[in-house]
Amino acid sequence: MTFDVEKIKKQIIDSPIWRSMFRGGKWNDTPRDRAQHIIGNVWLHLHPAKLRKRAVKFTYTWGLGGLSFGLFFVLTLSGIILMFYYRPTVQLAYQDIKDLEHVVSMGGFWRNFHRWGAHLMVLTTIFHMIRVFLSGSYKSPREFNWVVGVVLLLHTLLLSFSGYLLPWDQIAIWAITVGSNMASNTPVLGAEGPFSIANIRNDARFMLLGGTYVGENALLRFYVLHCIAFPFLAGIFMIVHFWRIRKDGFSAAPLNIKDKTEEKVDVWPNLVVREYLYAMFFMAVLIAWAIWMKAPLEEIANLNVTPNPAKAPWYFLGLQELLVYFDPWIAGVVIPTLILVGLMIIPYVDDNKEGVGYYSLKERPFANSFFLFGVAAWFVLIVIGTYFRGPNWAWYWPWENWLHHKAPPPPAWNVPNILGVILMGVYFVGGTLLPRWVTKDLAFKKTLWTGVGVVTAITLVLKFAAAGAFEKHLGFSFGFAQVFWIIFSATLYYALGFLVPQKFARLISWPRYVISMAFLLMTIGVMLKIGLRLGFNIKYIFHLAQYNFNI
Amino acid sequence: MAENISPQNPSTPVAASAVKTMTRRDFLWTAWVAFASFVGAVGASFGKFMFPNVLYETPQIFKAGKPDDYAEGVSTKWMKEQRVWIIKNEGHLYAFWGRCTHLGCTPNWFDAEKRFKCPCHGSNFNIDGDVIAGPAPKPLNRCSIALLPTGEILVDKSVLETRPGFREKKQFFIEFNA
Repeated sequence: MTFDVEKIKKQIIDSPIWRSMFRGGKWNDTPRDRAQHIIGNVWLHLHPAKLRKRAVKFTYTWGLGGLSFGLFFVLTLSGIILMFYYRPTVQLAYQDIKDLEHVVSMGGFWRNFHRWGAHLMVLTTIFHMIRVFLSGSYKSPREFNWVVGVVLLLHTLLLSFSGYLLPWDQIAIWAITVGSNMASNTPVLGAEGPFSIANIRNDARFMLLGGTYVGENALLRFYVLHCIAFPFLAGIFMIVHFWRIRKDGFSAAPLNIKDKTEEKVDVWPNLVVREYLYAMFFMAVLIAWAIWMKAPLEEIANLNVTPNPAKAPWYFLGLQELLVYFDPWIAGVVIPTLILVGLMIIPYVDDNKEGVGYYSLKERPFANSFFLFGVAAWFVLIVIGTYFRGPNWAWYWPWENWLHHKAPPPPAWNVPNILGVILMGVYFVGGTLLPRWVTKDLAFKKTLWTGVGVVTAITLVLKFAAAGAFEKHLGFSFGFAQVFWIIFSATLYYALGFLVPQKFARLISWPRYVISMAFLLMTIGVMLKIGLRLGFNIKYIFHLAQYNFNI
Repeated sequence: MAENISPQNPSTPVAASAVKTMTRRDFLWTAWVAFASFVGAVGASFGKFMFPNVLYETPQIFKAGKPDDYAEGVSTKWMKEQRVWIIKNEGHLYAFWGRCTHLGCTPNWFDAEKRFKCPCHGSNFNIDGDVIAGPAPKPLNRCSIALLPTGEILVDKSVLETRPGFREKKQFFIEFNA
């Protein structure tokens, strides 16, 4: 007896049951059929029926948005699986994770898969944002969808961070202790923040943890947030995100101007096949990763013993590194808030009509240099926090043994308040106005290298001719570290804070200009403060210790 | 007053005082304000809901033995159980809460260097609790402390003080005849 596969397939597809499930008539592979297949399917109808060739090209989107959603989907599935064995109580949580690893069939695999998938999702959402920025896809009419995207990025980080506590091991409890203490440094509403009106039993951290330390209530809260609240909210925002993609005309990739006869391609099968292959490839990578690499699990949580060093999850290590240079209310509350607000207002501030739907460094020099600098700084700080920080948060080269003793940091000093206010005033007000005052058309490269040369020359002259005088009158040694930080800070400000806006942003309207410059100067200011601390041991530029208001 | 025209008799306005006390606009305003207050109240009650009234946390008060039990210097005896250091120094005694004032990690005491060092962000404190290096904004917290009639030390971790001048007051500082 032989089977005619094609005949059986046809019988199944033509059967009334199949026909009732899947819309559409006889399949003849006509363009109409292919369009109908997209439009008539509840899952596929998020796609357009036809798309421009440039938008289908892999190196245009890198598939990052779809990949982020795919990871959210498989993370939901693996999360549901893990929930069958996990109980969120202080007595049981750690044991349940141990059981998942050692006695539940495939339990270890699902835990690894969930953990690595979450890391990967953080990475893909960040890179999706970078891609959308660089291809100018946030510009009109897609401004609001960019904002929704930033909210989704925040939810990805919140999901990952809240899941971090659930294994209830040492790294979990200390990462959340440090993270939640940032909440208690919220201005006004945190017990330890500037101008606080709260105590530890009614402040923002207490509300987050449901207690005064990371204990039973905190574990239950993070469990509910991680498994129910954040996925629910992320789901709602994802619906809006995808719906707006449809309504805003799908891909921003423009028609090929050179090729007047360019025709759109059918999404089924051209794009859908690519998506499936891409998803399968990443699934294979993730499965292999989860088989070979075990998710870390340390000793059971103990509030009385802090692991040394205690590190946050990698995507927050940039902020943790900033905690060395700023008080927690700035590094943990103000800077993250400003990053989020700054990202959200980008499409409303950037009114450059060029570069919509394709990569263009030269047509949007100011936007691209600012954004890429911010992204680079974020990742450099993460790399420093991950690989260069050892016990007591001292600097260790990756090849150095952590048992090697490091000298404690030297005592730091504060800039007198009056001088600090003047310095910050000059920096922000002068820094905003200067690029607009200089109306001359500067030759970019020539001016840049002349400036860098002058700064280097002056610094070296000071180093070799006047180091003794500095040592004698100001009390700090003028070594090569100081030379480096002076040249680094001055060059950074000169190139990114003056030359780039002078050349490329001087002629935009005043409100957009002032907002852009405020964010640019704050971003550079973070780097300058790092230079002041590492080069000159300055702790605060401005301090009101009795109000915990120190900058 | 277009709203006040009677439907039966379009030309004669109804006497406002007799029938109408509220225009449609005023009614809607009232309704919307009432609805907004309701939503606000629900939000506020949810906010309060998230603040537990009863905590099942470990007690913040404990007895730490007698002053004679301690040698001069920093005692780490209670760190594991209570997260408190007892410091005995030339005839006086005080207790530090073992929580860095930066972001709440537990510092470690290094006797050779006479420093508390925090593993999280590298803050260093001296034996008085003052910051000598690192990002911590305030000295270590001192716990409220008292000598009971039995001669035992009572430590209360829920009452804390960091400010010089205040932290040397009787509540946070025991003087005894060594």
